[in-house]
Amino acid sequence: MPGLHLDGRDQNLLDGKQGKAMQFAMETIVAAANIETAESLIEISFAHIDSCFYSGRAHLDFALFLLQHKARLAVPTWTNTGLVALDDFSIRDPFASNEVNEARQLMEAYVQLGCKPVWTCAPYQLPGRPQLGDHIVGSESNAVSFYNSVIGARTNKYGDFFDVCAALIGKVPLTGLHCDEGRRSRVLFTLDDIPRQIRASDIFYHLLGHLVGRHCGSLVPVISGLPGSTDEDDLKAISAAGSSSGSVPLFHAVGITPEAATLDDACQNQAPEKTVSLSVSDLQSAREELGTDSNQPLQGIALGTPHFSYTEFERLVGLLQGRCINKSLVFYLTTSRHVYARAESQGWIGLLEAAGVKIITDTCTYFSPAVNGLRGKVMTNAAKWAYYAPGMLPVQVVLGSLAECVESAVAGEVLLDSWATS
Amino acid sequence: MCRVGGRRRSITGQLGNILTPPGNSVQGKVLVAGSASGLALLLHEPLSFWGGFDPRNGKIIDVHHPQYGTRTAGSVMFIPESRGSAGTPGAIAEALRNGNGPAAFVLAKTDLKISVGVMVANRLYNLDVPVIEISMPLIKQVSSGDEIRINPEGLIDWRKG
Repeated sequence: MPGLHLDGRDQNLLDGKQGKAMQFAMETIVAAANIETAESLIEISFAHIDSCFYSGRAHLDFALFLLQHKARLAVPTWTNTGLVALDDFSIRDPFASNEVNEARQLMEAYVQLGCKPVWTCAPYQLPGRPQLGDHIVGSESNAVSFYNSVIGARTNKYGDFFDVCAALIGKVPLTGLHCDEGRRSRVLFTLDDIPRQIRASDIFYHLLGHLVGRHCGSLVPVISGLPGSTDEDDLKAISAAGSSSGSVPLFHAVGITPEAATLDDACQNQAPEKTVSLSVSDLQSAREELGTDSNQPLQGIALGTPHFSYTEFERLVGLLQGRCINKSLVFYLTTSRHVYARAESQGWIGLLEAAGVKIITDTCTYFSPAVNGLRGKVMTNAAKWAYYAPGMLPVQVVLGSLAECVESAVAGEVLLDSWATS
Repeated sequence: MCRVGGRRRSITGQLGNILTPPGNSVQGKVLVAGSASGLALLLHEPLSFWGGFDPRNGKIIDVHHPQYGTRTAGSVMFIPESRGSAGTPGAIAEALRNGNGPAAFVLAKTDLKISVGVMVANRLYNLDVPVIEISMPLIKQVSSGDEIRINPEGLIDWRKG
């Protein structure tokens, strides 16, 4: 192709000297460079792939094609959640057995290919994560946003198949968020009208992310006014909510995220093209938008979208104070195997299970029609779950803070006590 | 119709950017080379192919989408703007695998995810589905039901339905 520089290894791969799978992977990278009019490729150091998430036979056929033709990964490659929990058959519809079997085969195929089986949408909670300035491949939307925004690693929002092709080749087209220019903030969100105590509450970050996603379009946003207490759980919430309501693969937060020590840094010394001043009433509208009207009794709680962190476990155990979940409810919590093991070593898993919490690893609870018992009115602390679940499950959603979810779970009815109700 | 197992060249054509009267040919940019014919289906709003589209039957299932319930099988799908999701390529490849996907995609904005989904399906199942980019003013002239034919060089033959 004119304009695209390929080295000897690239050309060998393209010529099929490493087999048909590596050839196809290289063709895909070259096609992507053509599609995105990139003139060069850049080496990556890491990939987090979504291709292990089953949505049909084509996913499995592709993985088997890679194995059959002896594809080899070029960089450390971690796995997103799968459609099923590999070690727990009980939580999926047994009648969907073909789907379940193929989903498990798909996950096993990527392990065979050499991926590290972390099965999580929050891989950034695990040790060994990428560092500031690293070029990587991210695929799942919240992980892409967190890697770019909070860590300062560089990835475009790739997607199924391409993520694996890039991990096999170890290169991507140099374009978009891999380049400085693509990372410049063009729209400023200010929070001056929002009281400080609201800015420090956990649900605030979910609502903020939702609003940023709604209003920033395809421009990179910068948020000014987040408190110094903002932690990675809060930034995870913005990442997930912003990439659900909109497509926000990167945001900056002044004084908080690594490429935004100042507003000028985030905007690369240019003026933002647009400023959006958010108010308490915007937050209230966001909460209403994310809820669905229902007079039905509360039937479930869903936490852990994206996967629950160690610090969230610590907060949950503290909030429960040894109380039990009301017997009329199901209470699901999703997390990674890694965080599960850390929580277990603190004795928290036993405590929570005794209280009535069902803890699930490897997968999530909003995208399958077959999570047992999750129907009717369900409360969640996650804007992402609230955004997607009503389209995929027979549920109506109430969004609350973690504390509100816990109090409601104990009482067996929705209890909202915070500022965010109008 | 199908080229068996062959490698596909990407052919970069010029973007059609002049307003073209119905019944003419338009040169698009080839994102994925292939050939197809079918009736146009113009998407009125962006669609997420993961979650908003059922790859088992090729129907639009996003309840908020104005074309909810529409079947896409065999159509030449014209997409002014898409909503990317990590799952988009998988959903497209699966619909093409089971014969319920569009016969071709024509985009006004370059889209890696749609293109990669099509490339994988073409490779795995010996299909010949093209993805072509044309300009926004041109795509806005399409109406669902127009008769479309696309050749491997990205030439789109276009007759008002």
